[in-house]
Amino acid sequence: MSDHNNSPRGVAEPAIDIADNYVFPSPSRPGQLVLVMTVFPNAAPGVLFSDAASYRFRVRPVTIPAGGPGSRFEVGADEYDITCTFAAPVTTDDGGNSVQEGTCRLPNGATVSFRLNDERGAEAPGARVFAGLRMDPLFNDSTGYVETLATRRLSFQANGTNGADGWDVLGIVVELDVATMLGRAPETLFAVAAEVVTAGKFPVRLERFGRAFVKGQLLGEYGVDTVNRDLDLRELWNQEDPFELAPNYLGAYRARLNANLAVMDGIDGKTDWPLQPDGTHPLTELYLGDYQVVDVAKPYAEDSYLEIEQALLQGRPHATCGGRSLNDDAGDTNLTFIITGGNGPPISDGVEQATVRASDGFPYLAPPNPDPVVAGRALAPSKVADQLAFLQAAGLASR
Amino acid sequence: MTTAGVIAVANLEARIDGQLSRAIEGQPTVRERAELVELIAMRGHVLGRIADAERAAALADALVGQEPSDARSFVARARMRGALHQFAPALADLDTAAALEGDRVDLDAERAAIYQALGRYDEALAIRRRAVDRRADFDALAALAGVYGERGEIDEAERWFEAATHRYRGTSPFPLAILEFQRGQLWMEHDDLRHAHAWCDAAVRRLPAYVPANGHLAELDAALGNTAAAIARLRPLALTSDDPDYATQLARILGNTGRTEEAQTWRGRAEARYDELLARHHDAYADHAAEFWLTIGDDPQRALRLARQNLSLRQTPRARMLVRRSGGHPPG
Repeated sequence: MSDHNNSPRGVAEPAIDIADNYVFPSPSRPGQLVLVMTVFPNAAPGVLFSDAASYRFRVRPVTIPAGGPGSRFEVGADEYDITCTFAAPVTTDDGGNSVQEGTCRLPNGATVSFRLNDERGAEAPGARVFAGLRMDPLFNDSTGYVETLATRRLSFQANGTNGADGWDVLGIVVELDVATMLGRAPETLFAVAAEVVTAGKFPVRLERFGRAFVKGQLLGEYGVDTVNRDLDLRELWNQEDPFELAPNYLGAYRARLNANLAVMDGIDGKTDWPLQPDGTHPLTELYLGDYQVVDVAKPYAEDSYLEIEQALLQGRPHATCGGRSLNDDAGDTNLTFIITGGNGPPISDGVEQATVRASDGFPYLAPPNPDPVVAGRALAPSKVADQLAFLQAAGLASR
Repeated sequence: MTTAGVIAVANLEARIDGQLSRAIEGQPTVRERAELVELIAMRGHVLGRIADAERAAALADALVGQEPSDARSFVARARMRGALHQFAPALADLDTAAALEGDRVDLDAERAAIYQALGRYDEALAIRRRAVDRRADFDALAALAGVYGERGEIDEAERWFEAATHRYRGTSPFPLAILEFQRGQLWMEHDDLRHAHAWCDAAVRRLPAYVPANGHLAELDAALGNTAAAIARLRPLALTSDDPDYATQLARILGNTGRTEEAQTWRGRAEARYDELLARHHDAYADHAAEFWLTIGDDPQRALRLARQNLSLRQTPRARMLVRRSGGHPPG
């Protein structure tokens, strides 16, 4: 799964467990940027956000280094944060359900109050906000994905099975007017990372999420990292500032990404990303900067995930808005990018869309499944071999 | 700061409801079913529902029957058997889980909990110390504190309770509220009512729906002379919880304040409920039932019989004290 069940604290308290992060220009309202964070994987009706956490989107301007192909973006210092907090419910509605109120603080310092599960959301000048139970927009053949990584051979079917079928999730949707909220930035490229931090004066990072499948898959234990063969890096990763990794564990992350990305590259039997003389994989620096990049001046494009990153690496101008839309097949794009480098046919897991496509209009996330699949919660194994064993034991993968 | 109790309990209920639906309609995995046992047991503990403990035990039993070659089934059942004071069968389940190659660290932790309940403190302590040496996380530190507390080494227990608290990095209120309640119980047993009150109060402020903590807080209120507060706190517990301990406490306090008629009503309810529980789970409720017959139940001979039966199961200081208070002379 994308980031579902990837931290012990998230498993212990699902209300702080980030599932996914999306950022895209609104398809129906030009000039608006949409940020979506999903939390509480496999949510059931009645679940609430934690009042001990702040859910925030961190937005910073980025530039592409001049002078040809680059390996990472240059992140500016200014931040345009959006932070949502929630209160403990004190009332119930006519149906006896707890009513939870939330507050969203916008980049210009204004706040907007909203109520959980109010389909209309709440508005303030330059922004609309929604939070509530929705259908999980994630779609991918998770079994095929894990089998591919564990066996190091492509293991997808023509008609795959969506591992997230029937799941619901808590979603936070913020639609920002670009001119109002981000207009003072000199450029139109922005990096976006989602975080859950402890509420209060001195926030402690609990979880963070940038690009899909980084924490659970790219940083997983494949048994090929010769520096740290048996080390779950996810909790360390979770606590890092996405825009400024501390030096303490940088070597460990680099070694893991160098090793894993090289293994993934070889899955199709050819090397599309030759290592540098010092063993660095060409994508390592890119993935160390774990955030999505979106161009707010470009129109909505449904399948533009990683396009700006590819343009960076190729030293060409990007053509699309980048980011990640709700209906973007990010899993396939991610695997194609890493395994083939774009040299050859795209990889498909046989799952082309979610159970119900996300909408083009606010609040974008599809209404919740009335009878959601509520799976149990367990920390997804860091070792890819264990992930496969888990799926085999559940009868979801072949032996 | 941890998540508000009302949110945490709502989310726990939602998870249980959702997973129960899946258990009925779908094919949950062993892990999911074992997790459901744990979630229901947690709810039962927090909300003072014996029915939840019984349900969790039944689910665990069914899980073993349906998945007899999976160590996790036996671990789930061992946990519930331990909760119902079926200590020998619980240990047997853990032996089976070990033979099925269950996780050794997890099995050691489960064994330690049962040894502690049995009064085999040296064995429990050895396991808990090794766990802290291996990884001094919240669970390991809290468990080590618990053993020291049971041994009566209160200073040492407090040291490790503090360490566990400082080590906690989550937002769920349950682990810290349970820890705070444990500390309150420990100070109660050492007759430091003010310390005990502070810790039980902390647990209740963190998790207002925490029934056992509310119950002990009421007991402490009464002992410290705040009878009105004790009664106000106990009444809703006695009404809603199926654990007769709250009706027992309420009857006792009402009796002490001269409200004899109401006291008798609650006494009658508690007695009927203890009779039911002893018929179904004798070992689990022998000690609490002894307390009832020793106090408001007013049958010291019956109390002594139950206290001796309890002591035969578990040679703990608490069990010996109960025999002494019932007029007996515990060996050792």
